[in-house]
Amino acid sequence: MADLRINLAGIQSPNPFWLASAPPTNSGYQVQRAFEAGWGGAVWKTLGDPILNVSSRFAAVSFNGQKVAGFNNIELITDRPLEVNLKEIYETKKKFPNHAIIASLMVEPKQEKWHEIVKRVEDVGVDGLELNFGCPHGMAERGMGAASGQVPELVQKQTYWVKEVAKTPVIVKLTPNITDITVTAEAAVEGGADAISMINTINSLAAVDIDTWDTVPHVGGKGAHGGYCGPAVKPIALHMVGECARNPRINVPISGIGGISNWQNAVEFMLMGATGVQVCTAAMHHGFRIVEDMIEGLNNYLDEKGIASVSELVGKSVQKYSDWGDLDLNYKIVARINNDTCINCNKCHIACEDTSHQCIDMLKDESGKGYLKVREEDCVGCNLCSIVCPVDGAIDMVEVKSGLPPMTWNERQAALGILACGVDPVTK
Amino acid sequence: MSEYQDFLQERDRLDFMIQQGYSIKNIIENLSGAFVELENKEGEKETLQILTPDGRKYFSVLLLKQQKTGAL
Ligand SMILES: Cc1cc2nc3c(=O)[nH]c(=O)nc-3n(C[C@H](O)[C@H](O)[C@H](O)COP(=O)(O)O)c2cc1C
Ligand code: SF4
Ligand code: SF4
Repeated sequence: MADLRINLAGIQSPNPFWLASAPPTNSGYQVQRAFEAGWGGAVWKTLGDPILNVSSRFAAVSFNGQKVAGFNNIELITDRPLEVNLKEIYETKKKFPNHAIIASLMVEPKQEKWHEIVKRVEDVGVDGLELNFGCPHGMAERGMGAASGQVPELVQKQTYWVKEVAKTPVIVKLTPNITDITVTAEAAVEGGADAISMINTINSLAAVDIDTWDTVPHVGGKGAHGGYCGPAVKPIALHMVGECARNPRINVPISGIGGISNWQNAVEFMLMGATGVQVCTAAMHHGFRIVEDMIEGLNNYLDEKGIASVSELVGKSVQKYSDWGDLDLNYKIVARINNDTCINCNKCHIACEDTSHQCIDMLKDESGKGYLKVREEDCVGCNLCSIVCPVDGAIDMVEVKSGLPPMTWNERQAALGILACGVDPVTK
Repeated sequence: MSEYQDFLQERDRLDFMIQQGYSIKNIIENLSGAFVELENKEGEKETLQILTPDGRKYFSVLLLKQQKTGAL
């Protein structure tokens, strides 16, 4: 039985699975049920100035029968009175002293507003604060959420204001609706953030109804952009976590969020530098009890790997996440088709013939039976055939020795530079 | 003809020049491919046009080797 406890910038929780600030953490009733189910922490639905919500708020993108491949919402922060939320936070913390309760906050970018809300939520005993600089709709129009989260100076300044009065650790939740998230992450660190979390939702329009021509969702015939999350955003979130984790100027713990649906996803985020993870869409799709499988799966994984504590996973893949210019141009893989398992559907042949390098030949054996074979010398190792192949194990991508020493693009360009002008343009 | 055959030809031509005592003096890369300028001790010059990506990797390896060892 591995030790699943985590300590994120001083916030302790019995396991790395937290519910993200969203409908699952809207009330004490829900958070207490979540803790009973096994969640290690909860970031309360964002508290802030009073708002009003619209009806018809969510939409999902299904893909080929897979429900909720992506999830879209136009919901704002909590619409419950602050006093009610604070009372329920207090009661929940009393019942579950060892679980992490983090208050998510969003107010106008004014020093006194931040000071006021920080003091009020810390008075009821939260373990930490998460500043929501990420909500992409509704609040942004009022200068809050993503509107302030896209401006590094505002991220830094507001973090600083919070840190002026905060007694508990401050997590800054970043918006992905920006070209380079490391810029705002750095601004958060400069403002004194104890940790960062990412990602909030990505600007989106889920669909257009081709019969009515309405947006999906629509509010009485009108739509507005929403925020996208769920499995579809996981690669985007993972990249952003990795970019922050490998940036030496962003030297604070990361709480990973975005499309995490199972323990394997959580392990990926932790390997890429997250100290813990937060989940929203998967809980909304399948309920709180998914955490049971997450805890069990993570435990078994750690035991099988002989790892005593989940913290040992954190960042183990970060040094493997590099820049394109540092990849070995002479590393070579090729596709190999296992004719024993292949069902002759020809999908790989079509993919390679139409959209890759025309190197899967259709041949016939002595009995006249058709089979496929890769011309390895012309295969560029793009992986497309194995991606489209419907049969697990029918195509292996195998390494072949190129016979050449490792050489990166950067090394090559440096050598060309030396040749052209006698100096190394990379180091000079 | 497959691109691999093109590469083999380019590799042979590069190897042949090196065997003949030539070394790489300049490389110009433009939209028409790469032009590898070679020279031997007698000052004789040759230019090879390299079109395939594997060919471009190959002369880059030769160049790195030349710069590391001072010879090929
Ligand atoms: C309906 C809905 C409401 C949300 N409300 C908030 C919120 O109030 N505050 C916040 O910081 N994030 C909010 N989020 C974003 C989530 O906390 C999370 O960052 C995002 O959904 C990505 O995680 P996921 O892919 O696991 O859903 C909301 C997400 C959804 C789907
Ligand atoms: S890996 Fe790419 S190039 Fe090679 S056989 Fe498959 S599809 Fe073709
Ligand atoms: S896609 Fe897979 S199963 Fe289909 S022909 Fe190719 S190797 Fe066989």
